[in-house]
Amino acid sequence: MTMRSYFMRGGVCEKETGRSKAGADGNSTHHSTADHPRALRIDRRPKGRYDSITSMVPDSFILRRSLAAMFAALAVLPLTPTSLSAREELREPTEAEVIADLLGVQSAVQSQFARVRKAVVALQTGNGTASGVVISPDGLIMTAAHVAEEPGRKIFVVLDSGEKVTARTLGLDVATDAALVRFTGSRKDWPHVKLADSPSVANAGDWCFALGHPGGFEKDRGVVVRVGKIVKRTANTLHTDCVLMGGDSGGPLFDLKGRIIGIHSLIWEGRDQNVHVSLAPFLRSWDPMLASQVIRTWAQGNGAYLGVATRMSDNVELEIINVLATSPAEAAGLLVGDVVVAIDGTLITDQPQFSDTIRNHQAGDEVEVTVKRGGKQKPLLLNVTLGSRIEQEVLK
Amino acid sequence: MRFLRPTVVLAALLFPTSWVSAQNATRTNGLFLTESLAGLRGKALDVAAHVVDENGKPRMAATLLSADGYFLTKASETPAFDKSALLLSDGTRGAIREIWRDKTRDIVLGHAAGLGTQRPLQMKPKADIGHATWLCALHGDKSEIRVGVASANRRQIPGMGAALGIRMDPVAERQKSRNGVRIAGVATDSPAEAAGLQKNDILLEIEGEPVKQFENVREIVSRRLPGDELVVRFRRDGHDNQVSVRLASRTKILANWDGEDYANGGVSLRTDGFPDIIQHDLPLNPGDMGGPLLDLEGNLVAINIARVDRVTTFALPLETFWKEVRAKIVADRKSPSAN
Repeated sequence: MTMRSYFMRGGVCEKETGRSKAGADGNSTHHSTADHPRALRIDRRPKGRYDSITSMVPDSFILRRSLAAMFAALAVLPLTPTSLSAREELREPTEAEVIADLLGVQSAVQSQFARVRKAVVALQTGNGTASGVVISPDGLIMTAAHVAEEPGRKIFVVLDSGEKVTARTLGLDVATDAALVRFTGSRKDWPHVKLADSPSVANAGDWCFALGHPGGFEKDRGVVVRVGKIVKRTANTLHTDCVLMGGDSGGPLFDLKGRIIGIHSLIWEGRDQNVHVSLAPFLRSWDPMLASQVIRTWAQGNGAYLGVATRMSDNVELEIINVLATSPAEAAGLLVGDVVVAIDGTLITDQPQFSDTIRNHQAGDEVEVTVKRGGKQKPLLLNVTLGSRIEQEVLK
Repeated sequence: MRFLRPTVVLAALLFPTSWVSAQNATRTNGLFLTESLAGLRGKALDVAAHVVDENGKPRMAATLLSADGYFLTKASETPAFDKSALLLSDGTRGAIREIWRDKTRDIVLGHAAGLGTQRPLQMKPKADIGHATWLCALHGDKSEIRVGVASANRRQIPGMGAALGIRMDPVAERQKSRNGVRIAGVATDSPAEAAGLQKNDILLEIEGEPVKQFENVREIVSRRLPGDELVVRFRRDGHDNQVSVRLASRTKILANWDGEDYANGGVSLRTDGFPDIIQHDLPLNPGDMGGPLLDLEGNLVAINIARVDRVTTFALPLETFWKEVRAKIVADRKSPSAN
């Protein structure tokens, strides 16, 4: 299963990358559990249908074993320089090396744990319970956007000691699930932790550890630590095998130096499918978020850009809820309230598919967008020359 | 066409290289790690066994406590001992008998006859297992090794009671049947469903006690623990039937009435009511409970006792029961039933 989701196209992978790409697209989307039935927000016990695919695990395990065996057999053939390096890469470490590595990780995590746990908090929003992490002496908290939901909300924060205080949500980036919150009151000596300097310090294969309050704050249990590896990094996320569940959302992912490298966002079925917002969206959107703004769209990569914010309407149609000024969408005459039916004749059924379709084009491509407008049945065809977007859009 | 050959070979080499090594390097329990820990796995196999049912199917992991066949397993999910056997990792198998059942900790001590080929056990009754301490255990019928860390405070888990997994409708019950309690709904993946009970069945008796209203059912169940078996008499389509139902933890059922698999592999029947546990994050399944938990030196330090949710497994530290269990073993060796 794990291999299918990360190394093969189709099935879970399509949906999973669909979500990430939607996040990384120049087209704004509003994510919710309902839009992605197999992704689960982890601020509380998930309600969506959860497909059981655990029976596939042994198959993939066997497959990996046979591939390893196949390579082991081939590796003894006369080799070119290229394959020599490949052989080096595949050398299995000795048991002593593996255990020494594990014990090194253990002592690194343990040397940070007592300090960083004091900065990890549980957030009680009224809709559920989640996690967060304090990052400044004056009480700035990082969490997930689906926890904060909107600027200016009063929420309760449970500290590591069990003490309960209040805070208020600041801005959020709903496209990537990043948000900031600040304690109310004037205290200037909050226990806090540092962020890593850059999203690029976190790489696939690196060890990391996750803290949070799965299921909500429990005094006797305390904060829960999970140690794992970074499975992959995307434009805006880290995927790890630190297992998460409802209540962990918004909690911190640390590197072995005890610096924040991510914020828990969502999970998929696999035990190694735990998705964290990376530092990229936070660093990119820091000032607008501090100013309590809501960011709905941004640019990333070489994919084409349209410049609309969408939502799934009550009729389960893709409705445009914002057209950005000076965007290709505005130039082509797309309007708020239009329902996107098709692009180049291909029916559009959900947000990830919409984002992927746009993003798979190059800037400068012309596409035909079919929309329904003003409740009329007759569709309208609009030709749009897609652009590229460098700077992010910030909406009040 | 000769010049094409190297290309073909290279392609065959490179494809699995990137694929397999990426898998291994980016997973805590990737093959690079699990294949390398052969020595540690060997030590775990020395203390590991499975309780197998009459068809030879492994039903529950178990932990060997002595070279002469004494073992522990999770009491609430182990099949009846008289129809089961203990299967060791070397393939030997012995008939088993029950010696002592500890409902407080949900463990049962047994003895398997005719064994004794295992190497001496490596135990550490007083292990210091703080947050983020690595631990290892075996997973599945093939006993793959898995590592993970102690993840939360050592503590007591209060018991929240047992449940059948049925909803009862008092109004409809009074209207429809004066002699029993109508089942208004059955929870998915619950004890009631496993036993074959259905909506609209009329409960008549539980463990020989007649039930006339839903309070009777609740009262009888409240006196039992998760894992206890109850004989239930019920009426369906005018015919009386009888089934045996093994109760589960009430919290497990209430938190998950529709049976969704939040733990990715299922949760244990009994998930609470333990006097002293350590919590860890190893990726295990309910059938792995009862099996050994070791430190990285290969010392037995605890017994896995409950798979709770996606991030939580509970284990009983050896020191919390070892004295008591050892005394039972010593006494049993002297008793006439020992052989």
